[in-house]
Amino acid sequence: MLRFIIRRSLLMVGTLFALLILTFVISHVAPGDPAALAAGPDATPDMIETIRKENGLDKPLPVQFLIYVSGVLQGDFGNSIHSGREVSRDLIQYFPATFELVLFSILFAILLGVPLGVLSAVKQNSWLDHTIRIISVSGVGVPMFWLGLMLQLYFALKLGWFPLGGQLDMMTDPPAPVTHLLVIDSLLRLNFAVAGEAFVHIILPALTLCFPALASIARINRAEMLETLNQDYITNARAQGISRFRIVGVYALRNAMLPTLSMIGLRFGWMLGGTVLVESVFDWPGVGLYAVQTAVASDFEPIMAVTLLLGFFFMLANFVIDICYGLLDPRLREA
Amino acid sequence: MKLRRRHFLSLTGAAIAATLALGTAQAFERSGGEKILVVAGRQPVKTLDPSVKYDASIRTMQQALYDALVKYEGTPPQIKPWLAEKWETSDDGLTWTFHLAKNAKFHNGDPVDAAAVVFSFNRTLKLNKGPAWMLNAFVKAENITALDAHTVQFKLDRPYSPFLSFLPWWYVMNPKQVMAHEVDGDMGQAWMNEHEAGSGPFKLKRFQQGKLYEVSRVKDHWKGFPYDGDMIGGIIYKLIRESAAQRAALMRGEADIVLGLSPDEFDAVAKLKGIKTSTQPALTAFGIKFNTKGKYTSDVNLRKAVAYAFDYESFGKIYNGRAKLQTSPFTDAIQGKIEVPGMPRQDLAKAREFLAKSQWPKGGIELEYVYVQGLEEERKMGLVLIDNLKAIGITVKMVPLTWPNMVARGSKAESSPDMMAIFATPVSTDPDAVAIQYHPSSWGKYYGSHFYENPEVTKLIEEARFTNGWDKRAKIYADIQKRIVADQPEIFGMMRERRVAFRDYVKGFAYSPVRMTTEIDYYPLYIGK
Repeated sequence: MLRFIIRRSLLMVGTLFALLILTFVISHVAPGDPAALAAGPDATPDMIETIRKENGLDKPLPVQFLIYVSGVLQGDFGNSIHSGREVSRDLIQYFPATFELVLFSILFAILLGVPLGVLSAVKQNSWLDHTIRIISVSGVGVPMFWLGLMLQLYFALKLGWFPLGGQLDMMTDPPAPVTHLLVIDSLLRLNFAVAGEAFVHIILPALTLCFPALASIARINRAEMLETLNQDYITNARAQGISRFRIVGVYALRNAMLPTLSMIGLRFGWMLGGTVLVESVFDWPGVGLYAVQTAVASDFEPIMAVTLLLGFFFMLANFVIDICYGLLDPRLREA
Repeated sequence: MKLRRRHFLSLTGAAIAATLALGTAQAFERSGGEKILVVAGRQPVKTLDPSVKYDASIRTMQQALYDALVKYEGTPPQIKPWLAEKWETSDDGLTWTFHLAKNAKFHNGDPVDAAAVVFSFNRTLKLNKGPAWMLNAFVKAENITALDAHTVQFKLDRPYSPFLSFLPWWYVMNPKQVMAHEVDGDMGQAWMNEHEAGSGPFKLKRFQQGKLYEVSRVKDHWKGFPYDGDMIGGIIYKLIRESAAQRAALMRGEADIVLGLSPDEFDAVAKLKGIKTSTQPALTAFGIKFNTKGKYTSDVNLRKAVAYAFDYESFGKIYNGRAKLQTSPFTDAIQGKIEVPGMPRQDLAKAREFLAKSQWPKGGIELEYVYVQGLEEERKMGLVLIDNLKAIGITVKMVPLTWPNMVARGSKAESSPDMMAIFATPVSTDPDAVAIQYHPSSWGKYYGSHFYENPEVTKLIEEARFTNGWDKRAKIYADIQKRIVADQPEIFGMMRERRVAFRDYVKGFAYSPVRMTTEIDYYPLYIGK
């Protein structure tokens, strides 16, 4: 196991470096002059040159790359050419909001998707099974943007059950950060009113974001459960009089969870990189919107930092899933 | 205290219930017993520093937090005394002397004096960013001097008629506060991004980048307010990006003023009880710029053929009636604007006549139309072009691009598209602010993507810029407008009306066309019955 962890860690570092080179090249060869965009539409050539020099954009590309890499190794991701803010400060602000949204989304997806998949398998060909399968298909077909707007217009505007958007009411001050995850920090600071408010604000965006994952998890879990429930050892367990709950919930589910775990890992990574539509609808101040705004403005350093960060967490999520595989299946540990 | 599980759950449930109860519609916000207005917009405030950058949301905040020597107010926009109570100009137009109000104070109590004005102008010129382009070719820092504590003098390198028209955008900062936060010779830029050193009618309360920006009213502001009493405590500018969400926020009372509604959303809210709207023509002109150096569009007869084939009434349809056709390259609020005779309107017979004189008398060519990706109105204009030009045998290829890519393509004559959809908002009402768009110095900028070149027009623009006396200038600008229309460097389109929707208890909303599309002046706003 230790060798596996070391090997995967080294692979992650190599992949991240390759990602950094690729992002650097693409962002610097794409059309658009970030210095001109930052200077404004009326700027004179010397004003644009001032900004170009200040941000090191007048240096040769290999020099810019070396400066950037050396900065990254010291935790300095540079400055946004548009706002002048340190990119690391922006990431500390925006990334936890996205991470918390994705955490709750994946939690909702698991808590809802796994039981739905199990129910669908156990009640195969019933009306419940058919209903759950319709939900599974909808998860692939329903656009997230539309779903978010519908949830917002109905549950927030018409019924008034939820806020329209944002992480907190605009008159509420957030607690002093510990983890920078709002719900968790509020709980850690024993500020339950703010924790409740933050949780209520996250429900609609998390439900929107979790829907495709919930559908996939339900579908995969159903298929795996159906296959597992037809195995000889399950028949044997039934014959021995073991309770149905134990057979389904312990014996069958544990074996069916392996491919579901892979799906959870994949979905976690996709969610991290795909929050921009949900963040846009619900004005969630996360890294998805930040990434799009900086990409449209050709703001190199935030683009590269966000790509590295999302790439890292995508790899980390799959790494954790692989570890979980080993824990669930002793055969994989020994292999 | 050890928190038991059931206490934790009941407290959380109570918190959720309480929060849900608050989720119903309410009137304006209150904080500490004071009334707070909420403005919803989609553009974040990237920086507060007046020397570094300006756009609609940035300048809204800068106008609230800072004061300038003079200020634009009203429709049509007039320059009003502000920090400067009065001013004189020498006969040769080279020397401008401003006399400051004696009671103006910064938020920390320091007086706003001539030294602060000199510092502020010097800082902007030295940093060479933001509004520096307006004056850096005409006045040097060493020629801005404090004659005494309340008198500032500018000695220009040459007479520059638009000088006064740019001064409302040059805000005065407190030198002591700015330089107290200087790091590595940055003149306080890092600090000024998210802090302020102003004397304006509001001071900064919260700056939550990407979420909201709150200002609180300075109750004893040196200029006073145009209303009596404690009618407002502060204003929150909140980011709500989607038009549907802005509409929902307005209906729920979570936003009192919304700035980014689509034409259809705007029409829907305008009919609702408790909502008022403002629709006023802006300084912003919309044009479809031709690349006058392009393979096809370098031919003036082809350009005229396209201009006469275009259905100008479609602007009104696309904007639900809220667009006014241009009758000059200058928009209505620009000084010296005339009604240019012979402005093209749809006339297929004339279109065919001009086409016959062009190098492609039968058409048979394809023109590229580039527009902003995601901007539905510009996409519809492209569809109108396709339909209209079919009648004269010309096909149109629509190419949506992100704004940076459009700017990149339009920066060179070789890559600039045949036609490009451009909204252009001049920064002042002085005609030079529009005329300069047709000068070769604008080539490479988005509004210069036509690469228009007429040596006579260039000469007239330069002459008008440095001429003293409005009567002389007005005649030159009248000539300029006619010549530009004759050369047809663009389809002269329309002035789109600015759409702002607000709750009916919002009072004092004062529109000025010189402000950018989603820029508003917080100063006169208050909450009333």
